[in-house]
Amino acid sequence: MIILGIETSCDETAASVLKIERGRFFILSSIVSSQIDIHRPYGGVVPELAARNHIINILPVINQALTKAKVKPAGIDRIATTTGPGLITALLIGVETARVLAQQWQKPIIATNHLKGHLYSSWLENKPIRYPALCLIVSGGHTELILMKSSQSLKKIGATLDDAAGESFDKVAQMLGLGYPGGPAISKLAKTGNAAAFKFPRPMVNEPNFNFSFAGLKTAVLYTKNKLPKIDQQTKADLAASFQQAATDVLVQKTIKAAQHYKAKTVMLTGGVAANRQLRVELGQAVGKIKASFIVPPIKLCTDNAAIIAAAGYFAKPSPWQKLTADPNLEIR
Amino acid sequence: MLYSTQSAKQTMALGKKLSSQLKGGEVFGLSGELGAGKTTLVKGIALGLGVKKPITSPTFVLMKVYRATNRPIKKLVHIDCYRLKGSEELAAIGAPEYFGQNDTVVLIEWPAKVKKILPKKILNVKLKLGKKNNQRNINFNNR
Repeated sequence: MIILGIETSCDETAASVLKIERGRFFILSSIVSSQIDIHRPYGGVVPELAARNHIINILPVINQALTKAKVKPAGIDRIATTTGPGLITALLIGVETARVLAQQWQKPIIATNHLKGHLYSSWLENKPIRYPALCLIVSGGHTELILMKSSQSLKKIGATLDDAAGESFDKVAQMLGLGYPGGPAISKLAKTGNAAAFKFPRPMVNEPNFNFSFAGLKTAVLYTKNKLPKIDQQTKADLAASFQQAATDVLVQKTIKAAQHYKAKTVMLTGGVAANRQLRVELGQAVGKIKASFIVPPIKLCTDNAAIIAAAGYFAKPSPWQKLTADPNLEIR
Repeated sequence: MLYSTQSAKQTMALGKKLSSQLKGGEVFGLSGELGAGKTTLVKGIALGLGVKKPITSPTFVLMKVYRATNRPIKKLVHIDCYRLKGSEELAAIGAPEYFGQNDTVVLIEWPAKVKKILPKKILNVKLKLGKKNNQRNINFNNR
């Protein structure tokens, strides 16, 4: 089966051609046109600018994906596009483009949940996944734990009650004057900092559930920063390192707790924040200790792209193009 | 009216108390720096209005609409303008359609970024960090 994936939920315009043969996944092409440089001066994604740039980029990006994959429209079996969650003005561009192409080329169309894209990014590794499996999805807009009893049985067992993990990285970066995107900026600075310099809270670590909270951690950084008489570069690095350690500890401990509770045999780490090296290393080690296998896709598949959308499209059923609608608050239940 | 709360719990309780006075159609502008307690106050109001889902930060998707169960208020709309550049962007996502609806309460964080589009009858709430740990000074004024 050959799937064309389309993704425009936030600040990346992406298209990919994915081939699935005897249960193995082959990325024939994955084109991502990033808008990070466009949004950097504003300290975050500006929805109107994002939508305008998606319109400019979408057709060239799809064209490039087909050319690079050496696939003609006739060779495509289905089109998968992200219908949510995301920015409504951005989502609409991908949804409308997919609808037109599906109608024009007479292809089935799959409405794909962006979060399921992250979830199924693990399948692109072609490694054996044993069930029950647990997936931590961490990104700028989401922090969720999904339990899988099979490749298509998904259940959300925990989520953030306030800010997403990636959002707290962005906001702490803003407080420290590090700019956007905040995740890479914090990680870079944290390398030269002392992670034990400041004692930040590990919110909800001992609560008897699998939910997260990051708003209080953000506020703790703010308090600590406001109390310091002078903030030099080293202090900033120490703040960044201590914050990153606290966020990592919470994500790792909660995931391990859930993995033990549900006796998970495979633990997966996906989403934009899965690009964070410290999180990859520390969660990997912790999963090793409980004798489960650990899967984390390469960084270019953790950040937004369309290969993961095509992968999720493989596991879903087509819907009539007339019924395809963008839903900014789409969830995994 | 100036309130001083000593913890996030108290800020939520204040929001809950405030919600009992709402009739529907109100639009609030919540101002204050990152960590000032804007979302915490919204959580309290949502609790009072009988919103069942947890209120999570709307920063990423800009606007979240929740179903409220305390009549006559049926909807709570939580908007975050933190990342917006101007009023047009808020209009583009259809937010103004919720302003002043009799069955809806709208709460807007970072309203200064979208001044042009806000209704005249907006209720301003300013949140500030207090001197003590976890203390917040919350100022309600009508205009």
